[in-house]
Amino acid sequence: MSGIVVHLPQGSGGGADGEPGGEAVTLRLGPGEVARFGRGSSRTPVELRLADEAVSRLAGEIRVTDDHWQLTNHSTTQTYLVENPEGAGEYLRVSPRRAGAPIPFEFSRVVLPTRRGTTVSFQVFAPDHVYLDPPGAGGSWASRTVTAYSLDETATYFLVLVALCEPWLRDQSPVAVPTTPQVVERLRGHGTGGRLTARAVSSHIDYLADEKLRIGVAAAAPETGAGGVPGPGDRRNGKRDAVVALALKFAVVREEHLALLPPRAEAGARGR
Amino acid sequence: MRVQGPGGPGGPGASWDSGHTELLPPGHRVGDWVVTEPIGAGGWATVYAGRPAGTDRPGTAARPREVALKIMPTAGLAPRQARGIAEAARREVEIGVRAGHPRLIRLLDDTVLSAPEQPALDGAIVLVMERARGSLRDLLGAGTTETEGARLIAGICEGLAHLHRAGWVHADLKPENVLIGADGSVKLSDFGLATELTTGTHGHGPPMGTLDYLPPERWRAPLGELGVEIRPSADIWALGLMIHEVFASGAPLFSGATPVARGAAVQEYAAGRAPLRMANGVPEFWRTLAADCLAPTHAARAAHTAESLLERIEARRAGGSLPRVRRSRLRRTARTALRALAACGAVACAIWSYAGHSAPEGAGATRVGTAEPPLQLRVFNAERACQDRTDRDPRCSLGLAIDPMRPYMAGNVVPARVWHADVLDADCQLLRGEVVIDESDTRSTHWFRVRLPSADPAAAADAIAWLPAVRTKDRPPLPSCPAPPGSR
Repeated sequence: MSGIVVHLPQGSGGGADGEPGGEAVTLRLGPGEVARFGRGSSRTPVELRLADEAVSRLAGEIRVTDDHWQLTNHSTTQTYLVENPEGAGEYLRVSPRRAGAPIPFEFSRVVLPTRRGTTVSFQVFAPDHVYLDPPGAGGSWASRTVTAYSLDETATYFLVLVALCEPWLRDQSPVAVPTTPQVVERLRGHGTGGRLTARAVSSHIDYLADEKLRIGVAAAAPETGAGGVPGPGDRRNGKRDAVVALALKFAVVREEHLALLPPRAEAGARGR
Repeated sequence: MRVQGPGGPGGPGASWDSGHTELLPPGHRVGDWVVTEPIGAGGWATVYAGRPAGTDRPGTAARPREVALKIMPTAGLAPRQARGIAEAARREVEIGVRAGHPRLIRLLDDTVLSAPEQPALDGAIVLVMERARGSLRDLLGAGTTETEGARLIAGICEGLAHLHRAGWVHADLKPENVLIGADGSVKLSDFGLATELTTGTHGHGPPMGTLDYLPPERWRAPLGELGVEIRPSADIWALGLMIHEVFASGAPLFSGATPVARGAAVQEYAAGRAPLRMANGVPEFWRTLAADCLAPTHAARAAHTAESLLERIEARRAGGSLPRVRRSRLRRTARTALRALAACGAVACAIWSYAGHSAPEGAGATRVGTAEPPLQLRVFNAERACQDRTDRDPRCSLGLAIDPMRPYMAGNVVPARVWHADVLDADCQLLRGEVVIDESDTRSTHWFRVRLPSADPAAAADAIAWLPAVRTKDRPPLPSCPAPPGSR
């Protein structure tokens, strides 16, 4: 369990004087850690600066607890929204002065209103959610032996993973892992996956490799040996290969998951 | 794959069983054995009690009258899942064959069922094992005496020491997997995740485990081609948790409503954001032993092997004649006094100084096998920015006082500095020294007398200094220091 990742896209942050702009910010918080957000000032330090005059100096805070996080709304007037971008419009409303509202989504977008009718938002990823292993035999889950790297089989990243693994699951003796454009093409007929862009597919693969499976350096870049430290975005192919190899080896993705994919155009939809 | 005794919490019936596994009826024949009753079920296996089929046959006298049948069905599974189960069974068999030991559950037979008329059982792997009376989990709730607890922990250590010597890590050690034989003996079981040490220091295992017993480093461990890195120190961590559970009537050390919440608490402790809070009833010796097993990093834990822990337990047991008993009773009295009256009066302090005096000052050799000081303290720096640094930047260093009865300021500070997460040996504590106020305005008069970290052993003999208690989250059960000069 590594905690959560908070990501403020480029252009939403800014200097202490509230000027918009600024680089993208990524914070990593472990269990028990807190990050404050707001407009900030020298006397009101915040870890995540949101440069909009409608946002309070200390607008709220995020606290990591268990496998999820809690949102405290320090504003006395504004309600914040927490959207689940994968939840087909699913969202939570966090009222003014609400302390420690638990947020159940693995992916969240925290949205703060501004005066101009626009919004300021940042994303929070909670990759530590635990899913039980499929064949549920007896025993309380408390003392069970479980797979330590569990995935949400309804998430988009899982769909992308199944598409990447499909050639092996269908025993087509493939020579290479599907490319990003091939994945985009393969998911085209899918209800939610059909709208994925190449960039989105790539970021889902990064998320799988870095946050969910936590692919080791050696596995991500086998050609460099143990010494090579791949930078972000580097060796995307090595990463992609490693994701597929590990997902198949540890049966994270299995034949039954092929049913999640849209029917194949050619070769007829074989079964499921 | 897990064996759960019938009395265990959430045993069969008390679960969310979704009916994936059909139970075999009593009288069902499995190979040479007949099922008598179900014992428990885990992720991949169901365990039944069994007896030999055809008991009146001559020549069966050598066979045990009762066995445990662990049945791992493979039918209906994806090929890769079935392979995973076969792998787990292979490890069990390999340990059973190569690493047999009185402290490991004995494997009597293994077979693959051929039952074409019963598709659910066809191809199931069956491990036939000696039958245990129950598991450590069953004993925990009831509470054990200190002697019985000591015997159980020593048994686990014996089994672990043997397993580690043979080059294996159990990797799924928990009270459910520590079985208690018919004669009360301890037997480790369930080697489905056991990992062979391929490099001498670690091996690779499948990315699985029981959330409550995973060492802190596992929560962030990267997944490689071979699985996750598994080191013997993972078993030592689980052992530390079990020591605490045995002496705290089964209360989990890390609090939280769910295993995930408790895992988060483990992370907070390992990151230095929360102290280790053991239950009050855990006797000193076991408290120290558990704390050593629960060192927050693999590196710090590696100093304590199953073998060295066993030596300490045995040394204590060997010294268990009358004088020790008297002393330990005294110490208990003193501890009660301390708890009742944090600012202890002269009488209680006198008892403490007396009880704590059996360890000569500065003699580190008395550590092994006794509950005597020194006990270890981990330095805590409240500055968040300093907690992650390991470069010993002077700006992150913390001071130690020369005299805890004088104001803590320049002139009363030893030249040596300490840093966050440093581990110091402390030999006693002073509850009423000079007041120290830390960054968060916590006032405290509590000090620990520590050995100065020094590379020069000659200088270390009398090198003591005083650490303000606000600089550590640990509260080891140390005796009170003899009143320092200048206090009277």
